[in-house]
Amino acid sequence: MQQQSAIQAEEAEKIPFVGDKEPLSSLAAEYKAGGSPVLLEKIKILSEQYAAIRRTRGDGNCFFRSFMFAYLEHILESQDRAEVDRVRANVEECRRTLQKLGYPEFTFEDFFALFLEQLESVIQGSEASISDEELVKRSRDQSVSDYVVMFFRFVTSGEIRKRSEFFEPFILGLTSASVEQFCKSAVEPMGEESDHVHITALSDALGVPIRVVYLDRSSCDNGSVSVNHHDFTPVAGNNNSGGSEAVNPFITLLYRPGHYDILYPK
Amino acid sequence: MSTPARKRLMRDFKRLQQDPPAGISGAPYDNNIMLWNAVIFGPDDTPWDGGTFKLTLQFTEDYPNKPPTVRFISRMFHPNIYADGSICLDILQNQWSPIYDVAAILTSIQSLLCDPNPNSPANSEAARLFSENKREYNRKVREIVEQSWTAD
Repeated sequence: MQQQSAIQAEEAEKIPFVGDKEPLSSLAAEYKAGGSPVLLEKIKILSEQYAAIRRTRGDGNCFFRSFMFAYLEHILESQDRAEVDRVRANVEECRRTLQKLGYPEFTFEDFFALFLEQLESVIQGSEASISDEELVKRSRDQSVSDYVVMFFRFVTSGEIRKRSEFFEPFILGLTSASVEQFCKSAVEPMGEESDHVHITALSDALGVPIRVVYLDRSSCDNGSVSVNHHDFTPVAGNNNSGGSEAVNPFITLLYRPGHYDILYPK
Repeated sequence: MSTPARKRLMRDFKRLQQDPPAGISGAPYDNNIMLWNAVIFGPDDTPWDGGTFKLTLQFTEDYPNKPPTVRFISRMFHPNIYADGSICLDILQNQWSPIYDVAAILTSIQSLLCDPNPNSPANSEAARLFSENKREYNRKVREIVEQSWTAD
């Protein structure tokens, strides 16, 4: 176990928590040597819609880390103050959820405070405002990055526990664990990988839609190749989501079995 | 200097003082908030009953994102406790999460005493006796309990 985590740590060190934005051609380059024709075909299709990719470290936190960066970068670029106010209200709702579930406040308050600080800093016009460059720097700084990842883990766990009846059948489909065990062993510890249950819960809790584009070897029976995606749309009526109209996710993640990166549409 | 780890440990300490769980106690060593001494009392009506087992908890500046290093100072005989006193417990390794504070860590170790996990033995002799010869296992545990009164 310890050796396994040592190897993982060593491999992970080669990539920063959050990489630089790279043209999508760098994705194709990865599969040039002996890559499956299905994958190369799919990357070609992707390149019609997407311009760039930003890689994240494969340390088990990649979904949360990708979400963190993509969300904060979106706010930084859009300066959407209404979105910030909306998400802040949902964060306070998450805080109340954890309180009601009996989590001692002092075990999670620092993580909430640090996220709200990051959220504040990407809106311009205050003394604490930061640039895109600084956002990248902070996302690579463990003392900021891991705290924000942990904040999302708290939010995700709280949402799953709050709506345990809804999540239970999906959790049973993944493992034989109870909701409680699942949260304790697969959500709350750092480095535990995320599945559709985590994504659904986080998207619902914060009211932020997320698009996940799947890049795998699957193809249709007739041999034609297309790239699937799934939009995680926050349930209407839960928290302050933007209403029930069809939402266009501003966060797009690329999923390859076992890993998430950030995609940038053209 | 007050770092996030130190501030958090002050709150852990406050909680442990205000709302101490039954059968455990702990406090920072002298003026060093990063190093704690703790005592776990053997749970009543178990072979561990009456034992007072001493531990140390060493924290780093990564706390609470990383768990402390926890070790028994008292000699132990338990399937999941190594000869050097270090403990094989999931929440102190890969299942760690910042939701655990010092009180929760000590409570988990306390329940590990009576509820060992024979699948990951740190002391194979203890693990073997636990599953094959409970009488002899309990006798060894009583020995350890008695030793815990005299050792310093």
